[in-house]
Amino acid sequence: MKPMQDATPKPPKYPADLETSLILPKQRGSPASSLASLPYRTSNPSLHKLFESTASISTSRPSSGSATPTASVIHGSVFSPGSRQNGTGTPRALPPGVSDEHRTLIQQAFAPHVLVVADNETEELIRGKGLEGGLLQLLRPFGESVPGKVTIRDSVGASKIYEDFGVRFVGMNETNPPRKTGGDIAQIEELVDRHLQYSEFNAQGSLVPDYLNQGEPVAQESGKSPFYTLYMRRLLSGQPMVPHETFAHPVVGVIATSSRSADPVEQLRELYNRQHQGDLRSPEWVDGQFLRYYVFIHEEETGDIAKSTTTFDSMKRHFGLNCHLLRLKGQQCISSDDEAVRLPTCEWMSASEELAEIQKRETADDITDPTPYIPESDVTAIKTFVRELVAQSMVPHMERNIQQWNEQVLARRRGLSGRFMSLSKRWTAFGSSRTSSASAISSSNSNYDPRGFYRPDAPEALMRRLADYCFMLRDTKLALSTYEILTTDFNNDKAWQHYAGAAEMAAFSALLSPALLSPALLTPKVRTEKIDEWIKAATYSYTDRQRSATPFYALRTLVLALELLRLRGTAATDDAARWASRILEMHLVGPVGVALFTERISACFALRPGLGAFHLGSRRRKAAFWAVLAAQAWWEQSKALQAEKCLDTALHLYSTRAHGSEGSEDAPPRLPLDEMQTFVYELRTQILGLRLTNAGLGDGRDDPEGDDEHGDEATETLDASPRAHRKSLVGAVAPNIDVGPLSPALERTLEKDDLFEGAV
Amino acid sequence: MSYYFTILSPTDTPLFTHDFGTSRSSGDGLAHFTPSDRALAPFILHSALDIVEEVQWGPSSTAGSAPMYLKHIDKYANCYISCWVTGANVRFLLLTRPRDEVLGGGGAGGGLGGQRGSLAGGRLGGGGGGVYRPDAPATEEAVKNFFVDVYESWVKTVMNPFYNAGNGDVVRSPVFRARVAAAAKKYL
Repeated sequence: MKPMQDATPKPPKYPADLETSLILPKQRGSPASSLASLPYRTSNPSLHKLFESTASISTSRPSSGSATPTASVIHGSVFSPGSRQNGTGTPRALPPGVSDEHRTLIQQAFAPHVLVVADNETEELIRGKGLEGGLLQLLRPFGESVPGKVTIRDSVGASKIYEDFGVRFVGMNETNPPRKTGGDIAQIEELVDRHLQYSEFNAQGSLVPDYLNQGEPVAQESGKSPFYTLYMRRLLSGQPMVPHETFAHPVVGVIATSSRSADPVEQLRELYNRQHQGDLRSPEWVDGQFLRYYVFIHEEETGDIAKSTTTFDSMKRHFGLNCHLLRLKGQQCISSDDEAVRLPTCEWMSASEELAEIQKRETADDITDPTPYIPESDVTAIKTFVRELVAQSMVPHMERNIQQWNEQVLARRRGLSGRFMSLSKRWTAFGSSRTSSASAISSSNSNYDPRGFYRPDAPEALMRRLADYCFMLRDTKLALSTYEILTTDFNNDKAWQHYAGAAEMAAFSALLSPALLSPALLTPKVRTEKIDEWIKAATYSYTDRQRSATPFYALRTLVLALELLRLRGTAATDDAARWASRILEMHLVGPVGVALFTERISACFALRPGLGAFHLGSRRRKAAFWAVLAAQAWWEQSKALQAEKCLDTALHLYSTRAHGSEGSEDAPPRLPLDEMQTFVYELRTQILGLRLTNAGLGDGRDDPEGDDEHGDEATETLDASPRAHRKSLVGAVAPNIDVGPLSPALERTLEKDDLFEGAV
Repeated sequence: MSYYFTILSPTDTPLFTHDFGTSRSSGDGLAHFTPSDRALAPFILHSALDIVEEVQWGPSSTAGSAPMYLKHIDKYANCYISCWVTGANVRFLLLTRPRDEVLGGGGAGGGLGGQRGSLAGGRLGGGGGGVYRPDAPATEEAVKNFFVDVYESWVKTVMNPFYNAGNGDVVRSPVFRARVAAAAKKYL
């Protein structure tokens, strides 16, 4: 099993030692605890894989040694927001303790989408290989990062090379249950909650390493929470196809047929027609004229290669150069086969999809990993295919489009006549309003369809696509200027959803743009006047300004703005924290999100360096305060580990505060106010009790440092034990399935189950 | 409205703490914090010290001398914080928790209400919208008068040669407490 995993192209992030460390809980475990959580732990080893993105944190530790906050480098004049260089540090010269992780994540999140359709025989062929999801399932993991470097030329002709470029393969019929589109905050919350519970229960055995980890200030200060990263990633995965932004609109459509089909060329033609006019058509606000890429799948076992080559040649004659011959094996591959490779996991699957997967595995009897295997030759073939598709067809196609639209639409709009046009459009509308009815004006003078979209060939829609293409190809400069124009246009048309989208993306492009990193261009003034305005306008227009509020997009705006600002360090972290508290104020997120973002605010404040020996201008106390709040929020959700982590962070921040009194690290820090001391002490006791409860030591007798008080706390918190949640979720999936041995504890929380199901 | 008043030494040790309510508009002069607000109040005040330092040492907004009264400097949820810095760098912090009615729907649950447009936070003092505005001239003046009175009593207290108050000792003088209460009753 190991060598095969090693052979996977993009090695999943679970090193071999993790597997052993994950087994640890089983080795330990008092009889009571193992009994109590039996159904959960033994449920399915393959579950480990699904939770690996967050579970791996307990062993892997951020390696950046320079992240010690106390040895902070003094930046120019970082003291107050009024000074010159604030918030303008380049993301390349990151402030200490910040990783570029989230910036990369954001850039990768906005990737071009590739629509995949195949005829029935082909789907049958792929299903024969053991992949239920058909061709899409086979291609999807390989699109997430295109192998090799991708060269992209931006609008001024300069080439840039990216190694982490990716595309998203999407299907056409997304109606069937595990929907692959995201955009649902509740599901993201639920998913992160599952991950949290999993870590809560699986880390219980390894109490000691946890303590060791938490003793390290480096791990704390970097402010990294795998759960937060997961939350962000799921927030950005599976972007729904909507009129007001074109990221999820297909850039390329892959049409596939195979050697099994009788008349491949005819099949392709038919699929194309169905996509163009028939049942596979996109909604009317999506441009149907995207690039088509024709794929002929040759099945090695049954197909005749000579015949396939002839067919492929005729395909090329018919459809031009955008064709590919993909040679796949048709037989199902099992793990014992030579050169069998596990299908890589999708990193960008939506929350609902991952939830469905977790539930499927939890209820399955089979303890082996259901991930299908495919032969290595297939992997190589698919990778070549993806690379060819992206580097030779898609990127040049996008570059051509950008150039064309730039010349034909944007330049005209930007030029003198364009300005007159937009002006006169407004003036005629205004002037003639006496003579004709209002509806006639809006239809004649504006391209905005009152149903809430622009037709795909309207100049506004083209400009939006131009900007989105630029953004996806990471040419933020052109994107920014286009989004800026778009905001005024959409504003004039009162197309609020579109306006919000353009403002949101304008803010992101400005924050991501390397050109704006020099202090001269992105002064705090620009930041507050433009970027803040955009973010504010976007959140407001996404929610309050229109009848159907879209809180998901408002949340996305705020989260990404917060992350990008945080990366800029110094005074921008204040703004980051401000946007984060805005998320909480607007009640955009559920309980898990509240805790995560509270923690994040603390991380933002902690990042701000102080000046001089007294660390003046730092936000240590604020950071500590928010960490305490986060600890409390986690505790309310019975997440003892997270709560404890936050509380430790808080105490650490309180103890290493100003005045250089760091000699007393070993002793528990003395908080300045007595009431704070009491509060923290009580919280700590409660968390400890909760943790013991979670570990199955709820009676308090095994409590190593326990006295009677601890026992009381433990029994108090018993009802809120996550075990109840966890069980109820299993129940919610498949109520009829007998899930292993039920312990009395599970029986007892039956009423809670019902409640929870109702809530779901 | 409920108030929570603390005097902090330059090393962040609390020297004096007093919580009270408004006596205006038929207030009973008693603090009406919710338990969770009350528990967090010290944390909120303490975290505001970061902003105090920044405002105190940052570029001065007024020409000439640095003011002792720093006005409204910070806000957490519905708690507003005003500050006064004495010459010896002792900080007077006053936390104001307005009644829910005057917050203009900014409280829990109704948070999707009207105050979205104004982005309150930081030390800009945008306020929570609605009726209560910490940067309204009347509010600022009242708080200032309160601080001035307290400052006067404070100077007299710390000048007492028999006690070490202000240099690390907690102020226990009942007279001082009575004077703070009187100032609170008079102005807040």
